[in-house]
Amino acid sequence: MKVLLSWIREFVDVKESAEDIGKLMSVRGLALEGLEVIRPALSERSESKGDDVVMDFDVTANRPDCLSMIGIAREIATAYRLPIADTGQVARDFSSAIDPSAPAIPVTINDPELCGRYVAAVADVTVAPSPQWLQDRLTACGIRPISNIVDITNYVLLELGQPMHAFDLDKLAGPAIIVRRARAGESLKTLDGKMRALTPDMLVIADAERAQAIGGVLGGADSEVSSSTKRIVFEAAWFKPSSVRATSKKLGLKTEASTRFERGMDQTAPARAMARACDLLEQINAGQSDGRTVDVYPQAHVPNQVKLERRRVPGLLGMDVPDAEVERILASLGFTTAPHKGVPYDGWLVTAPGWRVDIHRPVDVIEEVGRHYGFEHLPTTFPGVQQAPAPSDPRIARDRRTRNAALGMGFSEAITFAFIDTAAAEPFLPSTTLGAGSGGEPVGLANPLSEKFAVMRPSLLPGLIDAVSHNRRHGRRDVRLFEIGTRFSPAGESRGIGLAWTGLATADHWSGARRDVDFSDIKGVVEQLAASAAVAPAFTETTATYLVPGRAAHIVVNGRVVGTFGQLESAAGERRDLPSGDAVCVAEIDLDALTAESPTDTLRAATLPKYPAVVRDVSILVDDALSAETVRGTIRSAAPATLIQVREFDRYQGKGIPDGKVSLSFRLTFQSVERTLTDEEVQADMQTILDALTRDLGAIQR
Amino acid sequence: MSPIDPSIGPDRAREVFRAELAEVRTDAELQALRTRWVGRKGSWVAAFMEALATATPEQKKPVGRGANELKKEVEAAIAERETALASTKRPPNAVDITLPGRTPVLGHRHPLSLIRDEVIEIFTRLGYQVLEGPEVEDDYHNFEALNMPAEHPARDMQDTLYLTRPMPAFAPDGASAGQARRSHAPQPRTLLRTHTSAMQIRHMEKHDPPVRLVAIGPVYRRDNLDLTHTPMFHQVEGLVVGKGITLADLKGTLTAMAEALFPSTRAEGARSGQAADFIRFRPSFFPYTEPSAEVDIRCIKCKGSGCAMCKKTGWIEILGSGMVHPAVFEAVGYDADEVTGFAFGMGVERVALLKWGVEDIRLFYENDLRFLEQFGL
Ligand SMILES: [Zn+2]
Repeated sequence: MKVLLSWIREFVDVKESAEDIGKLMSVRGLALEGLEVIRPALSERSESKGDDVVMDFDVTANRPDCLSMIGIAREIATAYRLPIADTGQVARDFSSAIDPSAPAIPVTINDPELCGRYVAAVADVTVAPSPQWLQDRLTACGIRPISNIVDITNYVLLELGQPMHAFDLDKLAGPAIIVRRARAGESLKTLDGKMRALTPDMLVIADAERAQAIGGVLGGADSEVSSSTKRIVFEAAWFKPSSVRATSKKLGLKTEASTRFERGMDQTAPARAMARACDLLEQINAGQSDGRTVDVYPQAHVPNQVKLERRRVPGLLGMDVPDAEVERILASLGFTTAPHKGVPYDGWLVTAPGWRVDIHRPVDVIEEVGRHYGFEHLPTTFPGVQQAPAPSDPRIARDRRTRNAALGMGFSEAITFAFIDTAAAEPFLPSTTLGAGSGGEPVGLANPLSEKFAVMRPSLLPGLIDAVSHNRRHGRRDVRLFEIGTRFSPAGESRGIGLAWTGLATADHWSGARRDVDFSDIKGVVEQLAASAAVAPAFTETTATYLVPGRAAHIVVNGRVVGTFGQLESAAGERRDLPSGDAVCVAEIDLDALTAESPTDTLRAATLPKYPAVVRDVSILVDDALSAETVRGTIRSAAPATLIQVREFDRYQGKGIPDGKVSLSFRLTFQSVERTLTDEEVQADMQTILDALTRDLGAIQR
Repeated sequence: MSPIDPSIGPDRAREVFRAELAEVRTDAELQALRTRWVGRKGSWVAAFMEALATATPEQKKPVGRGANELKKEVEAAIAERETALASTKRPPNAVDITLPGRTPVLGHRHPLSLIRDEVIEIFTRLGYQVLEGPEVEDDYHNFEALNMPAEHPARDMQDTLYLTRPMPAFAPDGASAGQARRSHAPQPRTLLRTHTSAMQIRHMEKHDPPVRLVAIGPVYRRDNLDLTHTPMFHQVEGLVVGKGITLADLKGTLTAMAEALFPSTRAEGARSGQAADFIRFRPSFFPYTEPSAEVDIRCIKCKGSGCAMCKKTGWIEILGSGMVHPAVFEAVGYDADEVTGFAFGMGVERVALLKWGVEDIRLFYENDLRFLEQFGL
């Protein structure tokens, strides 16, 4: 809200500079957004002849009363302990002018719920430009001057906050004013020249025949005041906030009037505003009202009353405010306070002024006291602890452990947007990975910002692939990124970790060989992440459109698939602008599923072995279609319990190995917890294992 | 190197030796110098002694003494240089320790994650439990229970992203204490939470006071990407409910948090002798708190003298807060006459922007390693 310091000073004799006022008001609830010094010519009407200042205050949504000079002045007066000159300009009493038998114009309110009050006055006018001072004031406050009549309505709006409207009386059929809901199919050309289709939930101001204005939003073009206008009707009314808001939203039409009405206006204000408008009419020689005013006010405003208990003030604020200060602050803001002693409460009966539509409860009043007494006087204390704090969400510690493991393996942490474009999501949907009919549609947004943010991610990988692509396009060849975040499906949300790795797998060093990342690297990462959750997963081959066939695996724990990893299909990368030919390995683990399969509090420390281990190596030739898992399984099933570890340490194909065969080397470790194993018994065990390998797998010892 | 003319005499020879010694850099050069000056054959000393043999007896004595002195001097100087050279000699198989090491690859933390953990650490220290909640919410928990019924103007403050098809509502919990209090039927979840405050409601519905929690996580608003806005950002939400909780408790708690998050700005205030000027509480408005306050800290850039970043006010807003509105307590079945509470919500991105002088909020979502690697582990 832009206010003019000279205008404010007509209501409150504040001597401080605009800067100082801005500073103090910022800690009293009116944040100063901007200051603009303007030329002295503007202030010729006021006492001071110096520069004038436009102060732009940020008025919060609960304070429509501060969308006016008088409202801001009242706050400043309270902050500076100054009286407010609220009467001089607005005291005209016109109640005697109301003569229901001979109204200036007949006014009917058909829907008193939506229009609680309608004040109208008729005047003879000479339409002309406003005097310069009035035009300058409007301009300074951001409103374009139009003509003396329209300018008066805007001047009153700015000064008192009450929106007003002027109709050309001679263009109203009847003449009559009927406040009613729009008829089905009715339309109206508004002042901005647009045809508006109206619906029956909208309130209109009509003449005897048709709608002439949209109540509380905007006037109609047909009854607009023009240079040829001779007689006008001024309107000052009260409209229901939710109705104005709904109409404004539906029409996509926000005006100075609708902004105020939808937040809530003072029901007691229209009469004062009308008096002020009629005064101004005479003051600037724009015309003369005939002195008869119509005021249709079916249900007089009932002021909001609040019982304020004295003990509640320090009870909520944590600081003592003297009674005298409570009373001073509330009185200065226009409240009345009646002390109330003893039963049922000790404190004050507080009555809110009509413009304070935000006051409903004791806390609302305590806030007024607190902010004007000053939050700077609040002590700094801490809430006491009555009981041990409840445990935190276990995902926090789990995610931290997972994050540390990924960081330790060289992956940097990424955070990507949870919404992605539809094409990026498609390869990761269950309907794609599990086949049609699996019901895996993406979670779409009804009002996305753009196509880029159309659906919620079903996987963390699309975002990570884009992040890898960004880094590749900015000169980084070696990229390791991970993200821990939420994935979305129609069934709900789940937390996962996604990883993407491209470029070097080895340390980049002058001395050594360099090798790019491959399937085994990402598998190792997956194994370590599983180990960090105390889980030893199995791996099964799988297929996914985004992974290279034959280099794609599922991570399986207790028969449940908890993740997928492999090498990214190059077409999938190219679609996200990744340079072709880059091997990118990716993995994604459902952390919630992994946690569900991971043991809790079962760790028992094992005693260290007392007897030495015996290590034996064996190399065999087998069919190269046999998986390492199968060979390992045969070894284990043939071995005694003293075999504690089987480790592949070489896999060779090529010179000296027949086609279709592979040479595998295993290191076997035997150890007993009871005694030292003898050479002979280990030798016998080795023979048993070899026999089994030969018998079951057709292996040949090398 | 030319042979030395023995006729030049000891004095001139000394000058030549010194000049040659100064040029010696290696052990091999030093050995060559030794041979040339004091070696058994062909050296200057040998040649001089030979020439001396034919001299007259009266010439012999002084010249011979001079030559012997020079010989001793040459040997001493060579021995000294030998020691000096030996001391700089590197052991066999020495490595060039200035070559780069073989660096294990370590990842870097995302700055938002660092702030998040810092906040968790601060509040864990203050005895809070840390919670996370669903990111897809229903209208009730995101708005209605927070005193923002349908058509409430405050809903405009947080432009909401809606799903095309609702997600199923959370199944009602078993016979928990909160179950009886719940005054609404489970709703399908239709929107992305606009603030972590939704989590407050979910917690209070299930747990009796006292409450002492921070909730943390991503939130979503329909804001276009620019220097200071992203449609997804992260929030930290705090909630304390109990008997006798006051606005002063909120001030103390938030002051402690701001001091921990911005230690350098805090120290600046302390140096200037105006530590109290580090933080200020400005009355504001939020539908779910009353009274409400926005919290500013002294501008990080200008330290309070006024600059473009703080719009010449010397203050930078870091969060919104207030005393929990009685309507919120009513929604979750707490007795607003019995308990009071405070709540606050802070943007994680905003803290990171201010703390590290990041000029474009979009950098947090680009995941450019040149950006991420500036932050620690
Ligand atoms: Zn600054």
